[in-house]
Amino acid sequence: MRQRRLQLVVAFHTTAAAMATEALCRRLGLAGKLISVPRQVTSDCGIAWSAPPELRETLEIRLTEAGVETAGFYELMV
Amino acid sequence: MTKNRWVRDYGPIVLAGLITGAAALVLTALGNPKNMGFCIACFERDIAGALGFHSAAKVQYLRPEIVGIVLGAMLAAIAAKEFRAKAGSSPASRFLISLFVMIGALVFLGCPLRMVIRLGGGDLTAVAGLLGFLAGILVGIVFLKKGFSLGRAYPVPAAEGAVLPGGMAALLVLLLAAPGLLRFSSEGPGSQRAFWLISLAAGVLVGAAAQRSRLCMAGGLRDAFLLRDFRLLSGFLAIWTAVTLGNLIMGSYTLSTVSQPVAHSQYLWSFLGMALAGWGSILLGGCPLRQLILAGEGNGDSAVSVLGMVTGAAAAHNFGLAGNPDSVVDGAYQVGGTSTAGMAAVLLGFAVLLAVTLTHLPKKEGAR
Repeated sequence: MRQRRLQLVVAFHTTAAAMATEALCRRLGLAGKLISVPRQVTSDCGIAWSAPPELRETLEIRLTEAGVETAGFYELMV
Repeated sequence: MTKNRWVRDYGPIVLAGLITGAAALVLTALGNPKNMGFCIACFERDIAGALGFHSAAKVQYLRPEIVGIVLGAMLAAIAAKEFRAKAGSSPASRFLISLFVMIGALVFLGCPLRMVIRLGGGDLTAVAGLLGFLAGILVGIVFLKKGFSLGRAYPVPAAEGAVLPGGMAALLVLLLAAPGLLRFSSEGPGSQRAFWLISLAAGVLVGAAAQRSRLCMAGGLRDAFLLRDFRLLSGFLAIWTAVTLGNLIMGSYTLSTVSQPVAHSQYLWSFLGMALAGWGSILLGGCPLRQLILAGEGNGDSAVSVLGMVTGAAAAHNFGLAGNPDSVVDGAYQVGGTSTAGMAAVLLGFAVLLAVTLTHLPKKEGAR
């Protein structure tokens, strides 16, 4: 079983926004992956983006520029 | 440490699955139809019949399990401060999708939850449904990857989120205080029922457990295929394990493709019916059970989905779309299955889901 580590978790209102984030980050070469949104974030069973915490500012800027609406940024052990 | 992590990650969902499986076994032992201790599609259809929305005499009973699931989810959400009223995510499209999810499920004769319960009873005819459900999920995932979205929901007044739970509570009052206003089957699956208080308690328990764990048949497969995350899927497997072991212990496990309770052996239409249900569930963001849970948490869009499913159930029986179980008549085994109208409805359902999907794809890449 892989080790848990502190990650930035970006939550979204829609699955489509999570998919758009994945496409954007792949295009920009930003690290991260799609994950099932952690239970401590919400009772919804949607999809979130997990990335290194140091990318928080970059992601906030890039996602805003791309018009991707987020539901929150969290730093969690995942 | 690793063991603690496994318990934290998988414990709640596995426990919810075991509770749901055990509840299904208990309800069956106490009177619910065989291999149908819990079935969201069948029970919403029974409720539609009890309210006179259809006149199929064998499937009419106001199932307290459904009331209990919604109220249990609401109580759990309130206790955890997770009751959040929200709505506005393409309600009309959700209604339409849900209507066809129900028709697909009733062509197969069961929702995804009952599909697992049927498999746990040894019903091999349900394998076709499972394969169809998987296929439908995969189709849905393809469109999720292309950016399909019904749009986001927005906060609404708490009273809006309480409409479906309140409606369910009113139905319970009706069942207890004014049963003369309702229809009750005197034969067939609708006549087979556990005592109402036990059904209600089982529903509350399953609703609360599913709310805490996010138990969802469609979400489990979506996460497994899309994210290689098997947590939600483990709930699915826990239900199957509990029901299989329980049936084996009680001597009610029959591994066969023939003479299964409320099931038919028209495999192609079982496959296609559940493919429709699977695809629709992915578009809705959850299976029929999950829609009840979300409605209990205050989600008005899921409340609309539940109403769409009840409408779909009424349509399925008013227009002869639902599957007919295999039966033995005068000593001869008769294969049931789907009517021509039912087949046409499934094909129409695929066309409708495709139309809804194509009209909810992004117009240009990156635009959300």
